[in-house]
Amino acid sequence: MIHVNTENTNKAEEILKGFQVNWICLRDADGGKVYWQGSDDLSLPDIEHEARVPKAILKCRAVSREFNFSSKECIEKFRLEQKVLFKGRVLEEWYFDFGFVMPESTNTWQSIMEAAPESQMMPASVLNGNVVIETRFYDDDLLISTSRVRLFYV
Amino acid sequence: MGLLSILRKLRAAPEKDLRLLLLGLDNAGKTTILKILASEDITQITPTAGFNIKSVISDGFKLNVWDIGGQRKIRPYWKNYFENTDVLIYVVDSSDRKRLEETGLELYELLADDKLENVPLLVYANKQDLPEALTASDLAQALGLPTIKDRAWQIQACTASQGSGVREGMEWVCKSIKKK
Repeated sequence: MIHVNTENTNKAEEILKGFQVNWICLRDADGGKVYWQGSDDLSLPDIEHEARVPKAILKCRAVSREFNFSSKECIEKFRLEQKVLFKGRVLEEWYFDFGFVMPESTNTWQSIMEAAPESQMMPASVLNGNVVIETRFYDDDLLISTSRVRLFYV
Repeated sequence: MGLLSILRKLRAAPEKDLRLLLLGLDNAGKTTILKILASEDITQITPTAGFNIKSVISDGFKLNVWDIGGQRKIRPYWKNYFENTDVLIYVVDSSDRKRLEETGLELYELLADDKLENVPLLVYANKQDLPEALTASDLAQALGLPTIKDRAWQIQACTASQGSGVREGMEWVCKSIKKK
């Protein structure tokens, strides 16, 4: 039994070591215009990234969030939890089960969601600096990586 | 076109989570089709060494489109992505006559898999703009599609790089999902 546990731990470590978020991109889902793309230091854990996006993004009917990530190891039960937080409160949640991730692979996941009607949308001045997109990547229950992007509307 | 508008057409579908699976040999044009569906720029597409997924949500309905890389060394992993597929979209480079047999073999291997049993099949006869391209009907014959009796199927000519024909194929996809 002890032997099996050690093997699991090793496998987890290998997955963590071999996993990397390469870039994150925010686009207008109509027409695909890129509003922000970040690729600096994304592999470093616990760093909150700052995305300065034009206020015009709030007028988009739908916005997409796209992640590109690589894994050296095969992952059997890959999934993610994405939350959009406003002052720490959850505005939106998205759970996605990928299942299998190939060894030595580079993959993208893009989520597209319709924006709230403009009447219900908080103004840029209120949202500015208070919205965080938090994405956690898991293999089953093992947390592989967390990405946090704080949005500033300029 | 846009994925949101496709999803809106599907709202009457009985299932709330829909899954489309794009497969085909490398360089067939799967990622280009995926990007055309999302009205995105297609000038910088590189071979897919894994998967590309687009997930759209609208009014509680979810559409997931999976594009899996087609290089020979990763084809053995395709089977990991079959489960719960609503429509299989198989993309063929109609001008790649040298690999016609290979693409046919891969296709029939998919059709023989239990997890894809009865799943409707759309074949995109892509790259119709190239001089060597087979027409959609010639490609259907060459691949023996008329012998398929265990599922709904359709072939659609397209030139994904110019955005033509992709929408027509998706209209068939929407219809076949509603019929299920």
